[in-house]
Amino acid sequence: MDEVTWIEVLPRHREHALRQRVITDSLTLGRAWDNDIVLDDPHVAAHHLRLERDEGGGWTAHDLGSVNGLHVEGERGRRDRVVLAPHLTLQVGHCLVRLHRGDEEVAAEVPLQRRSPWPAALVLVALVVLVALLELWRGETGEPKFIRYVTGALALATLLALWTAAWALVSRLFAGHARFGAHLLVAAAGVLAYSLYDPLCELIAFALSWPRLELYAWAGAWIALAATCFAHLRVVSSKRLRLKAVVVGALATLAIATQALTIADRRADWGQPIVLQRLAPPWLRLAPARAPAAFFDGAATLKARLDAARSEEPAGDDAAAMMMSD
Amino acid sequence: MDRAIRRRLLVPLLCAFQIGIASAQQEPAPRLQPQPQPPTQAAAAATPADAPVSAAAERVYAQVRPSLLQIRTLVAAAGRQSSIGSGFLVGADGLAVTNYHVVSQYALEPKTYRLEFKRPDGGEGALELLAIDIANDLAVVRVDGKDLPHLAFDPRAVDGELPRGERAYAMGNPLDLGFTIVEGTWNGLVERSYNERVHFTGAINPGMSGGPAVDTTGRVVGVNVAKRLDGELVSFLVPARKAAALVEHARSGPPIGIDAVREEIDRQLLEWQAGFYGALVAKGWRSTTFGPYLAPESEAPWFNCWAQTNAEKTPKPRAQIDGSTCSTSSALFVAEDIQSGSAQFSHAYVRSSELNAFQFATFVSQLPIYRSAGTTGAWQRKRLTRPECEERFVAASPTAPALHAIWCARAYRDFADLYDVALTLVTQDRDHEALVSRLVVQGIAYDNALALGRRFLEGVAWTK
Repeated sequence: MDEVTWIEVLPRHREHALRQRVITDSLTLGRAWDNDIVLDDPHVAAHHLRLERDEGGGWTAHDLGSVNGLHVEGERGRRDRVVLAPHLTLQVGHCLVRLHRGDEEVAAEVPLQRRSPWPAALVLVALVVLVALLELWRGETGEPKFIRYVTGALALATLLALWTAAWALVSRLFAGHARFGAHLLVAAAGVLAYSLYDPLCELIAFALSWPRLELYAWAGAWIALAATCFAHLRVVSSKRLRLKAVVVGALATLAIATQALTIADRRADWGQPIVLQRLAPPWLRLAPARAPAAFFDGAATLKARLDAARSEEPAGDDAAAMMMSD
Repeated sequence: MDRAIRRRLLVPLLCAFQIGIASAQQEPAPRLQPQPQPPTQAAAAATPADAPVSAAAERVYAQVRPSLLQIRTLVAAAGRQSSIGSGFLVGADGLAVTNYHVVSQYALEPKTYRLEFKRPDGGEGALELLAIDIANDLAVVRVDGKDLPHLAFDPRAVDGELPRGERAYAMGNPLDLGFTIVEGTWNGLVERSYNERVHFTGAINPGMSGGPAVDTTGRVVGVNVAKRLDGELVSFLVPARKAAALVEHARSGPPIGIDAVREEIDRQLLEWQAGFYGALVAKGWRSTTFGPYLAPESEAPWFNCWAQTNAEKTPKPRAQIDGSTCSTSSALFVAEDIQSGSAQFSHAYVRSSELNAFQFATFVSQLPIYRSAGTTGAWQRKRLTRPECEERFVAASPTAPALHAIWCARAYRDFADLYDVALTLVTQDRDHEALVSRLVVQGIAYDNALALGRRFLEGVAWTK
């Protein structure tokens, strides 16, 4: 018996693997205690299957007469006999059974992550809090109250911690490691990006006298959220990245489309015009100041649009109001 | 449903008092401030003269009552009244005068509503609409009948004016309680009003709109039209002259077709706004100084101006605001949800030594005068289109600051060529000082609005 063979059994949720070196030429698997390997699964027969090594060293699985039978993972239909090829996995009830040969290749060693994510994460968290405080201070038109800044910073930090904790929990569940620091780094980077993006949009809208920007800027929030969630998923595990990207991207697209429709609908209903919500200091102005004639020429062009809108049906609950008056 | 109908019934009654409503719609809050009123006027009117006065009123009531009408607007399908007003006969042939706002529901939606009259003797019947005068809120209708009792106009009121203090009686059917006489005092034409209105000190209540105000001999001196909701006994009459003119017009011309009412209203509104805004431009502008800025204010006498300041606020505000708001009470009743023809301009001069440039800009953005930049008044989707806005930096001249200018306009759905327009300007030359100016005009032709807006914009300048 020069060959080294291992049997590996993964129970239903694959939470742990049973691995055992095989030293006989025959093994029985089932729920009964007289088996060589006992499978703790109600969908497995008392004596479910037998593995046998033939002359050439190959293994064959035989169904011993179970209700649920013997299946090969990834293939349809039950089988009475399966010749085990390398990388072939048997499905027995909800359990997976695999054999490994001693000469099988294993993945290369992954170097330990020496660099801790914590310093970068903490710097980013500090920046997030700083930007939020600056934003609060920028909008401070009343008497500044110190406690507002303290509670604001604490609330933000708490929110960030809760978000990170949720992702760490997901990580722990599915990948075994919480990786709190790495998740914190991702969350802080995401929040920082958005908290810089939002005021920047506001300032650009003012500087270019382009209030329509505010109409689309909210989409950036969804994109930032999607990118952050993708980064979190990558931290959880770097497998199936393409699938994750597609799912996150699709969800973000759905969210943006839904909100765009809602906004368009509400604008049709409420007719809120697009004007700049917030001014900025005059020195931030980039767009050239026009001559009054040019400005009023622009204003004059609105007339055609207004005249066209005259004949449109008024939207929303005006119809209901008219019904009531009848 | 029951509640909806009841609400519906009350609203037109309240709307009858357009001046009160109009002042309630103004954006800043001049109404919150005590309005200087002549407090002694009411007392003078109420001076008891005992028996002779009462006898006079009894005589007037008996004389006028047969010529009174209650004018009811009914929902055609239900046959129930939707709003009520009053009117009075002015000819044996059945011609009668009332307010336009009493018949407005029928005039605008003749398929949905119909008009009926009720006479004090219980006679009832349908009414025919003959003529309207939007600017003076008048309508002439015809009652079927011959040799009907009717009232005459007081020549003193038609030709000129009665002396202030003259006793007058407002008559009508308030709140559907029955035909009533209200004693009051003639206080002459309202000063600084573009539309001629007589200030009548007496209680005019919902349902009396369109009824006559008569002198002690029972001749018509005016038509009950409105009252101020923020005062006591401050009521208004349309001068008899205007009513006499419209009756003359109705007698001489063909009756207005009910399908042509909208076009007629449109035509009258256009004509009115051309006159009003033409006069406004002709009166010229003066400059008022706000810190380093000059702000344009109209020289026209029919603006009512109020100043606002936040200097007395506690805790002490971190930016000082000094502002003024001037508005006309020239709003015209078109429908219960359309008021046209009012104009308003306001300025707010803001300065701060405590706020930094960003905080100051935020402070300015939070001012009501800036927050309302995108609106041109109450939002009536049924009556007005969605606003369209143009927003740019504008520099009028080297002697004027650069401005952040926002022009928003809406079109009246029912009337071609009429718009509501608001122009909001914020000076862009200093970090800690700014003048925010706003012009709002309702029911204006687009070209007039452009010209007025341009004049307003070019009126914002530096003092030196």
